[in-house]
Amino acid sequence: MLHGSWLPGEGADFNNPGTFVLWLETSDAGGSKSGKGIHPHHVSDPGRFGEYLSSKLLLGKALISELDPEPVQFHAILPTADSLPLPSLELAQFSGDHLPDGHDLEPWKIRGMAIGRPLPLLKELQFIVGLGRPEIRIGTGLRFWIRYSLQLRNLVRRHQFLPVMKCVRAGAGASDPRIVAGWAPASGIYEEGLQDFADAMPVVCTALRRSRPRAGTVATAGCLDPVELLRHFSEQQLEALVSGARFSIAAMKRLEDSWLIDAAGLGSPEQEADHAIGGRISAERWKQWHHWHTEILGRSREAGFVLGIRLDEAGRDREDRWRLDFFVASGEDPSLTIDLEQWWALPDDGRELWLKRFGRRFESSLLVNLGHAARICPLLWQGMGSAGPTGLTIDHETAYNFLKNDALVLESAGFRIVLPSWWTPEGRRRARLRMVASGKSATGSVASKGTGTFNLPSLVEFRYELSIGGEPVSEDEWRDLVNAKSPLVHFRGEWMELDHQQMDQMLEIWRQQDQGYNQSTIEGLLKQIGEADDEFEEFVFDDVLDGILKGLRQIEDTRPVDDPPGLNGCLRPYQRKGLSWLATQEALGLNPCLADDMGLGKTIQVIALLLHERAGNEPGTGANGPPTLLIAPTSVLSNWLREVERFAPGLKCMIHHGSDRAADPDEFGKSIAAKDIVITSFTIARKDCGLLRGERWRRIVVDEAQNIKNPKSALAKAVRSLDAPSRIAMTGTPIENRLMDMWSLFSFLNPGLLGTSAQFSRAYEKPIQRDGNQQRLQQLQRLVRPFILRRLKTDRSIIGDLPEKLEQKVYCSLTREQASLYQAVVDDVQDQLGESEGMQRKGLILSTLMRLKQICNHPAQFLHDGSDFSESRSHKLTRVNAMIEEALSESDSLLLFTQFTEVGTQLERLFRERHGCPVHYLHGGTSRRRRDRMIETFQDPDSPAGIFILSLKAGGVGITLTRANHVFHFDRWWNPAVENQATDRAYRIGQRKTVFAHKMVTLGTVEERIDEMIEGKTALAANIIGTDEGWVTEMDNAAFQELIQLNRSAIMES
Amino acid sequence: MTKRVRTWWGEKFLDVLNVIMDSGRLRRGRAYAGPRRLLEFRIAGDTVIAKVRGNVNPYFGVYKEPRYRVEVKLRRFSAKDWSRITAEIGGNAACLSQLLMNEMPTAIEGVLAEQDIHLLPGSRSDIISKCSCPDYASPCKHVAGVYHRIASQLDRDPFLLFQLRGLDFTELQGRLKASPLGKALGERFGADQPAIAIQPHRYTEPERKPVPKGSLKSFWQGSGTLPPVEPEGSGGTVPAILIRRGGDFPAFWDRDMPLNEAMEPVYKRIVDGNKASL
Repeated sequence: MLHGSWLPGEGADFNNPGTFVLWLETSDAGGSKSGKGIHPHHVSDPGRFGEYLSSKLLLGKALISELDPEPVQFHAILPTADSLPLPSLELAQFSGDHLPDGHDLEPWKIRGMAIGRPLPLLKELQFIVGLGRPEIRIGTGLRFWIRYSLQLRNLVRRHQFLPVMKCVRAGAGASDPRIVAGWAPASGIYEEGLQDFADAMPVVCTALRRSRPRAGTVATAGCLDPVELLRHFSEQQLEALVSGARFSIAAMKRLEDSWLIDAAGLGSPEQEADHAIGGRISAERWKQWHHWHTEILGRSREAGFVLGIRLDEAGRDREDRWRLDFFVASGEDPSLTIDLEQWWALPDDGRELWLKRFGRRFESSLLVNLGHAARICPLLWQGMGSAGPTGLTIDHETAYNFLKNDALVLESAGFRIVLPSWWTPEGRRRARLRMVASGKSATGSVASKGTGTFNLPSLVEFRYELSIGGEPVSEDEWRDLVNAKSPLVHFRGEWMELDHQQMDQMLEIWRQQDQGYNQSTIEGLLKQIGEADDEFEEFVFDDVLDGILKGLRQIEDTRPVDDPPGLNGCLRPYQRKGLSWLATQEALGLNPCLADDMGLGKTIQVIALLLHERAGNEPGTGANGPPTLLIAPTSVLSNWLREVERFAPGLKCMIHHGSDRAADPDEFGKSIAAKDIVITSFTIARKDCGLLRGERWRRIVVDEAQNIKNPKSALAKAVRSLDAPSRIAMTGTPIENRLMDMWSLFSFLNPGLLGTSAQFSRAYEKPIQRDGNQQRLQQLQRLVRPFILRRLKTDRSIIGDLPEKLEQKVYCSLTREQASLYQAVVDDVQDQLGESEGMQRKGLILSTLMRLKQICNHPAQFLHDGSDFSESRSHKLTRVNAMIEEALSESDSLLLFTQFTEVGTQLERLFRERHGCPVHYLHGGTSRRRRDRMIETFQDPDSPAGIFILSLKAGGVGITLTRANHVFHFDRWWNPAVENQATDRAYRIGQRKTVFAHKMVTLGTVEERIDEMIEGKTALAANIIGTDEGWVTEMDNAAFQELIQLNRSAIMES
Repeated sequence: MTKRVRTWWGEKFLDVLNVIMDSGRLRRGRAYAGPRRLLEFRIAGDTVIAKVRGNVNPYFGVYKEPRYRVEVKLRRFSAKDWSRITAEIGGNAACLSQLLMNEMPTAIEGVLAEQDIHLLPGSRSDIISKCSCPDYASPCKHVAGVYHRIASQLDRDPFLLFQLRGLDFTELQGRLKASPLGKALGERFGADQPAIAIQPHRYTEPERKPVPKGSLKSFWQGSGTLPPVEPEGSGGTVPAILIRRGGDFPAFWDRDMPLNEAMEPVYKRIVDGNKASL
């Protein structure tokens, strides 16, 4: 956990520069030297620290080299219990540590890294935090400084600072104080920001100090004043920026002989030396500066009012009767205003009330404020020629100029400006080129409004019109406006600003258009809409097209289709809409991305699409078209096969995977000839790219499409190179976070929509991610939204369609290693079974079951050899990890049940490393007190989403874990009642979400057969099955061997 | 030649010399405004008294470097004129506001001209001068030098004009009190002059305070939500906007160029020269 805060200087010296310190908290004894008063859990070695910054945070070398090479030692006053510092709340939430109820505050010695000019670092950290990568752990205190530094940067960029003079106490022997020049942030925005940020500042930011506090002073003087701490930071950062600026000689020359040359030359050797002007700044100069400085900022704030200027529009035929009216707004309550015209008319006692708000010296402050405003906008002098100034009347041109220029300048100088609503961005009417488009079907007739997807238009016809404020305008009217003298015109009842040059361009485009209609594809139209400049273009669609575009953008407006024939099961209402949306996309020649939340049934929607199409709803695509190619991670291949078999038994499906797969093009061609779906893995898609490219495909579906997010990878290139009339991407993790990932996805789906990667990077990625350009972000969203269907479990429209509890089997296969271990155990048992009897036989059977289940979980669990607990050795583990990642990315918490204590321990460690979220593990050995704490932490709505692992025996009864809405059953138990009881830890009173129970089943093994028995699909009657495995021992040898035998067809090589 | 004055009223004040002097004397006179020539310069009430170092000139029989005594006065206004003037100023917010900002009101000449009153001297009769030099012409180049010096003083202190015309600041303030806004002017200048404030440290030193009582949550994460901050790159700015607000020639600024013009490149550079930080 990376922490950081500003550490101001200490001591009596005039110079008191501070430094930004970073320190790295660890959950174990992180290699820091132990000793009295030294914080035991932090990284004190600069080498390791630097490595963390470069490898974990991916900070650049240049930034890291800005850190002081020597570590800095400081003291932090931290919550402490039992003579040890408590872990930070953030770290405790991740590691699952349980914090005691009470604590003391004690100083702890910490070694961290220091950086005197932290703004570039904080700026980079802001970018990193913005990426939202879960493995990045940055404490709230440091996040506070990241946000405040953004505030400070904004202030500096808007020139909200002034040169200042500082009086240094005279040294011994000298009589007059020495006055030095410097800079300070200024303006109302700065002061208000200080207050707001100080209120939100975590206490830890104020609890660092250089010297060890004296005993007994911790409680009374352990913290720093937050506002003053922010001032210290801001003042030093501003001066650091000035001293780093390097002014031109010409610029310095202009300031010669003035104290300002010292201010500008801050930090230079000349300024430090005695011959600087600074040493000679007189007390008189100080007074002059002080007066100037307070006039600029202090008075109006102190006085409690802000001067405002309001532009009132002229009537249509009185073009030169615009008004600028002066008014005054209360500083405390900006909605409280009075026009000066009213003010002067008030009787004395009427003014009293206002003066209480505006301050005693209201009128003299008002005069100065008016003067300041007029200095910036000399026009205003004209309104001040009387003893009771109220405002002024101005002509048309002046009014336009005021709107265009003066208003902005006055506003940034701190005055309140009120402009007519038609000038505001919301109220502004614009002249635009209007695209009028209608749908057109391929046969040439204009598409009618139908219900099915078969009569959707494949093309778009469009023409341009000229429009103003959303209404069409004739060419003559347009010309009149273009020829108007002023850009500010009165048109159809209201004033508006026109850009003559732009209107000329529009007229030109309008005149160039072909007589009659132009044509475009739907994708072309969507691209044009997405990239359109609001200032220039607008769109009008006919009903058909309008309906289609609305349906693409808003799933609620999509008309659901019926369940396709051949579907073994029933689609939920939202799935019918999803099916309709997918079919519409394909019919329009678009390639969609299905990104529904995990558990909503993406798979069944895609299967339904295949059935829907087969049912002949689409003319020209009968049952015997080419197959669909489905590419997915190895760990889900068998699950796909199972799902297709279950929901669409009529679809012919094959898996292209494993070393015995068809390699010869002819052979491959034959094997897929009569198939509807060919399923293959990412690995094979890459290896057999040539083979796959040689075939015709109806469509290409990529499941877990985040796997092709690296556009340069061989996999992404291979997948992109496959050709088919349509493509579908499926993903459960939000893809909007990393923009280049999104580009990569679209380069597969709709290449061209987002341009080349270089174009995309220039147009969107850099402006959005580096500069936070909101406009570009919105433009990008407008571009991609029609192609992405992402519904959340929590959407109102979905919740109604979901039952409270949903159970699904997750099928996976054995890896080759698991299969060979499994077979060895089966063979071994076969030999022994005939020779043993009685208790020995019972023991053998029970231990065999246990060993086989262990193998299904992970080879390392079975081997007990301390070998690597890695994903590549178990498809089940791979699958669980992928699903957990998806759940966590949706901020869902989850429970995981296993019957094996040792695998629970290994999963706990793995999850913590892999997912960077709080992980708790409750097993038989957990004390009651610790158990209660774990539950409390997990249930706390303020803690991050986490994982709760429970051993089936320990976690079965009595506890409530309703924070979780996913329950994983990592291995299977014989009795469904026991499993259901476990699931009900989450499905209890207090649960507001749908609970998803995922039961992991390894195909071709004893796990699958247990599952079949539970489901009542086998001859064994349910009443034979007991609550434990004892009854298995009653089976005869042949039956037992059948139970455990390995079905080799279910093995999946990784 | 550098400008001797930088304000419009300073310039206008000098304009009268073109009317009442020949160009040779005027040109030579400028040299007498500098500290090498002007040995003494003081203002006593409505009179300016100066001592000027003259030239050795054997042609006129001057062999020893001479010292001349110069006195310059402006024509005083009558009490009736003053009443009119102060009534006009007191009734004009623009005038008062500019005086408050230590500037000569832009509108003042126009407003008073209607009553045939000119605050700034415009004719020979407005200037009463004496010089102990042997030059027959009056005003001589020494007077011109002193007059230049008055102009540059006036640049900084427009109230000097009222004083030289016979109404010092206290009296002016007293008369302006009659109108409500005029009273504001008095209040302003009556405000206490601040004493020099010693700053113990270059940057605000945070005071030590007791640790606030609270939960672990408020210790590590604070009690409120972070204030929203405008995204980067939003909103434009006007260079050195706060400096502009403070006027072209603050009291501490002696140069001829308006302060904001001198400071604009500095502000721009502070932002442009720190791309990595900002």
